[in-house]
Amino acid sequence: MLRTVKPRNARSKRALEAREAKEVEDVRTAIFVKGTHTGEILNGVMKELMALKRPDAISFSKKNTVHPFEDASSLEFWAGKNDASMFLVGQSTKKRPAGLIIARTFDSRLLDMCELGVDKFISMAEFKTPKSTPGHKPMMHFASELFDTHPRFIQVKSLLMDFFNGEVIDSICLPGLEHVISVSIAPAPSLQTANPILGDSQEEDVQNLPKIHIRTYTVKLLPSGTRIPRVELTEMGPFLDLSLRRHQAADPEMWKAAMRRPKLKKQDLEKGLGKKKKNLEVDEMGDLRGRVHIAKQDLNKLQTRKMKGLKGMLVEQDGSSEESEQEDDPRQKKRKRD
Amino acid sequence: MDVSNILASHAAKFQSVTVEKETPLDVDIGFLTVTDLTPIDEDSYKSNLEEYLQVTARDGIQALVAALYGLPTQPSPDGPLAQLPPPTTQLPRAKPLPKPKPPTKWERFAAAKGIQKRVREKKVWDEERQEWVNRWGRDGKNKEKEEQWIHEVKADAPVDHDPVKAARDVRTSRVAKNERQRLQNHARAQTATGGRDERKKDIERTLATTRISTASMGRFDNKLDGEKKLKGVKRKFEATETCVEQEKQASLAVLSKLDGDVKRARKEKGAGDDVLNVRKAIRNVSKGRGGVALAREANKKGARGKRGGKR
Repeated sequence: MLRTVKPRNARSKRALEAREAKEVEDVRTAIFVKGTHTGEILNGVMKELMALKRPDAISFSKKNTVHPFEDASSLEFWAGKNDASMFLVGQSTKKRPAGLIIARTFDSRLLDMCELGVDKFISMAEFKTPKSTPGHKPMMHFASELFDTHPRFIQVKSLLMDFFNGEVIDSICLPGLEHVISVSIAPAPSLQTANPILGDSQEEDVQNLPKIHIRTYTVKLLPSGTRIPRVELTEMGPFLDLSLRRHQAADPEMWKAAMRRPKLKKQDLEKGLGKKKKNLEVDEMGDLRGRVHIAKQDLNKLQTRKMKGLKGMLVEQDGSSEESEQEDDPRQKKRKRD
Repeated sequence: MDVSNILASHAAKFQSVTVEKETPLDVDIGFLTVTDLTPIDEDSYKSNLEEYLQVTARDGIQALVAALYGLPTQPSPDGPLAQLPPPTTQLPRAKPLPKPKPPTKWERFAAAKGIQKRVREKKVWDEERQEWVNRWGRDGKNKEKEEQWIHEVKADAPVDHDPVKAARDVRTSRVAKNERQRLQNHARAQTATGGRDERKKDIERTLATTRISTASMGRFDNKLDGEKKLKGVKRKFEATETCVEQEKQASLAVLSKLDGDVKRARKEKGAGDDVLNVRKAIRNVSKGRGGVALAREANKKGARGKRGGKR
């Protein structure tokens, strides 16, 4: 186990406090590990994914004999030591060529993981198109109804969202939206949603789960007639065709603990929106406008004697005081009648 | 003049921003994600995969961008900053939720008195030098007395009075006191959450209670391995004849416990705060006049406020 470090100076104390649990979490740091054998494809895939994940990515330079499906203890140790909570393990064997395992941890223990096989990969360098700036947040697009119904695809969607886009932010610079990661599933007409009676045997029996396509596009916002720009996509970045292999679902208790939210009161104060706020709307210019509803005022009963703003003109000049008084009176009378 | 062409092209631009789909797209603005739940069209998939994927992606992202541009924005040097709402999809946390820390002794006092936390600036204005100096740290003003080259010394000071050392001692004693109080707060926080011994005692107490929580009050239950023998209360019986003095004492003790309501109310009123000294606080705020005077003033102000004051 990791020894508990006692801070000796202010800097180490700050580093230790940064590692503590927070109510609103930071983005998950990902560790890229290579197994004993990785082919050329896997090396390329991992390099590209790390480029997309920078700066929250740590790459291990040495090859490690790690089999996450058998023994997750090394993953847990690395998670604790590096303060990282996502893993991408690349391992290529004869039985499972070009295998990529995406794993998540919770509280330094393995939460869930999924093994994907890389069928086709085209790197960013092959596409002679401009790339997005590294470090910018990607937009994500998932295209298939299976992402909502099939438990394995739900897990894949959750893993990919957590990997690329996990951080909760409160504002984003609109011109900074530069690239999209689009994940779609091949059609499989004979696929039913997971049959609980058969259980796992159905999936392991015939790996007829449809393939996943991951494409990355740069976004170009063209002016249209309205405030909303028209979107044009240009292919950039890695082109991945993946097939699902083994997986490990999360322990339900651990999952429940991981999904616990902080009390709404703190969130309310931070985000300012616990429930839908009435009488607020965003107009065409992007400004927040509110409506104030006041009761009908009986203008005959307005006390203008107590409105100091109306008296201002009388005190200014002595010479023209009579004139100003005369001016004031009709003005006042007019106001009263309003 | 035939403007229908111009109008048509203008209208076409407007159309291109909207997206029509059978099932509405699930847009999670907080995570910048859009999910398209329409089933994949096999024919277009098989005919031209890449184009089909790109078209579906473009439609999805158009909807997402439309949603993003509908958010309230703030201007910034890099462009408009859209205020994102909290995300709708739930993703698991990486670390468990932090446990709330118990408040320190000062925090409890400040909460009871209503003192707001004020963060002081690091720089302070030095009138002599006419510049902003650090309050502490490098060339800090708190070390001014030690670093002076000349000191005023009282006439009756002992021969070996070292003013530098005296100033330094004052500062180090303050630091030491702060450290001591911090450790006390830390220890109090640990015991408040319950140390191991306390928890062990709690568990043993609970176990003992459960053992007698049966229909027969634990009398006919089998004793499991490893359970300790329950400690019972030893009954003590007084002798039938005691001396008169002892009887008198016992009866008076019983009577004293049966206090009237007035006495109990007086005692309970004083039992209030262990954090705030109410007597001193009232004396401070009322400037020595007392609680009744304070109440009188409060009522006067209240009455004036209700009527409307100076209008």
